Amino acid sequence: MPSSPNKSWLLLLGFILFYIIYLLVGALVFSSIERPVEERMRRDILDMRRDFLNQTCINASALDAFLLQVLSANGYGVSVLRNSSVGSNWDLASAMFFANTLVTTVGYGHSTPLSDSGKAFSILYALLGVPFTMLVLTASVQRLMHPLVYAPRGLFQRSGLDPRPASTVHFALLLVVTVVCFFVAPAFVFSAIEGSWTFLDAIYFCFMSLCTVGLGDFVPGEQPSQKYRPLYKVVVMVYLFLGLMMMYLLLRAFHKMADLHGLTSFLELPHCDEDDQQPILEEGPSPPPHRAASKQPLEPGSQPSYNTISKG
Amino acid sequence: MGLIQIFNLARVPSILMLGAVYGAYVLVGGVIFWKLEGDLGREDISAILARKQQVLQTYKCLNSDGIDAVIEVIQDASKAGLSIKGNNTSDGFWQFTSSAVFAATVVTTIGYGNMSPKTPAGQIFCVFFALIGIPLNMVVLNRVGKYMLAIERNICDFLQGKTRHPRCTRFFVHLISYLTGVVLFFVVPMVMFQGHEGWSFAQAIYYCFITLSTIGFGDYVADSNPDKMYPEWYSFLMASWIFFGLAWLALVINHSIDILERLNSFLNGWWRRRNGKEETNAPDDVENPDTQVEQMEQVVEPVKQLPTEK
Repeated sequence: MPSSPNKSWLLLLGFILFYIIYLLVGALVFSSIERPVEERMRRDILDMRRDFLNQTCINASALDAFLLQVLSANGYGVSVLRNSSVGSNWDLASAMFFANTLVTTVGYGHSTPLSDSGKAFSILYALLGVPFTMLVLTASVQRLMHPLVYAPRGLFQRSGLDPRPASTVHFALLLVVTVVCFFVAPAFVFSAIEGSWTFLDAIYFCFMSLCTVGLGDFVPGEQPSQKYRPLYKVVVMVYLFLGLMMMYLLLRAFHKMADLHGLTSFLELPHCDEDDQQPILEEGPSPPPHRAASKQPLEPGSQPSYNTISKG
Repeated sequence: MGLIQIFNLARVPSILMLGAVYGAYVLVGGVIFWKLEGDLGREDISAILARKQQVLQTYKCLNSDGIDAVIEVIQDASKAGLSIKGNNTSDGFWQFTSSAVFAATVVTTIGYGNMSPKTPAGQIFCVFFALIGIPLNMVVLNRVGKYMLAIERNICDFLQGKTRHPRCTRFFVHLISYLTGVVLFFVVPMVMFQGHEGWSFAQAIYYCFITLSTIGFGDYVADSNPDKMYPEWYSFLMASWIFFGLAWLALVINHSIDILERLNSFLNGWWRRRNGKEETNAPDDVENPDTQVEQMEQVVEPVKQLPTEK
């Protein structure tokens, strides 16, 4: 039975308001943390520039022109320092890595297409690749729900727990396992392989990548003296894909748990469905057809819809 | 549950094949990018090395180490958003307004990366901020998208009542709303960015797509050129464009996923018929293109729903 429209509107407004406040609070905190550091760095670099100009015979405008070129090349990942021989940013393994960051929408930006044809191809490639990736991820997660969520929960319930505590216990276990296997352990590995990364940097990198934010301030495999660079990049790609799957699995498990506890109904959010009834890529006999969807009003739960990684 | 049921072994082949296609897609993409970009990268490197040599030769008092030291510092500073061209004292990145924009790019998972927290405290806060903010963002955009759909659907129903060709009307309403979305979220911003940022049309549209798909490379970022003056309403307009554009593009992407899924069911059905198997109930979406269109309209929900929700 649909809830009253007033509650629906109020909830929406509440969500939007909270969202805006959340952004503003975040802005305040970031600003107050990072601004002082930035100020100090700016003072240092201005002093350095002044000293450099005083000591050498180079004049200001020539230096600026040179630096401008250096910086724009640096923006594309081309470094001009004497000891950097990173190889190309566009050898086969790096290009594959780039393609992967494109279709998973992580988008580090450490290397970006320079040519117009590269940019145009990126758009076309992503238009096809992003939905396709979402399809692959969703289908995989649907399969994984059985051994990783339903079976353990069934086990807990058979050992005497009620459905609600069973789902909570299971979710907590899944969370711990995911954090250990996909954040802590890889962070150790990354901080060992990448010389300049601390453990915090590595965990920060794992988190930003697996949420597909992909700021790009840390990118594995970019150190000049990296051994087995192609293999390393391929392994990182596989890690990112598996990690994305686990994040999505975690999200679904949490959603189901929230359903059981009545949270989603209370906040009028859509429910998680029962996977057994309508899997994607179904090959066997399918469930009875849904009633004509066109006659249904637009409410949560009245129409089947699509599993996505959901950017919105 | 039997072991086979737990691991759904009967359905493994199709997911393996899908995985193989995905791997092939990324591989092919890698090869094409390698061919398109590889040569240009090498040219860039040699050009700038030549330039460096030229500077070293023109100014005899400079040595390699000195200039490398300067370059390293400049590169680090540029990553932090500091420009020291001439006497320019740009404001840096972490003003309140730009921090708000940064918070928004984290929460929408765009993540340009032209600015990012450097202090450990900033990084830790960023992780927790994203942990709560990303699901919140998903929920809000989901609901906004649903209301956008509801508006379109109401227009559709209204017009259908007036004409005698319901299918035609529906098709045209969808087409028009799609084109409106393209104009509103790509063409208009493209023109605006071309005007205010000084980019070419190609760069502007590339930027629009990369932002709205949340890929967010950060090679082009609006409202962050320290050398340009922006009008007051610019950041606000950009933020609204990103917000509504994200909701709209997610709809479009979901439509394409749906099309891919229909294609997959169709191929499965064709394969089954070809192998002489008994005709099973084809899924509703293949049989019934009308309801399929209506089903697509609900695809803004992040997960599937119980078909028997009351």
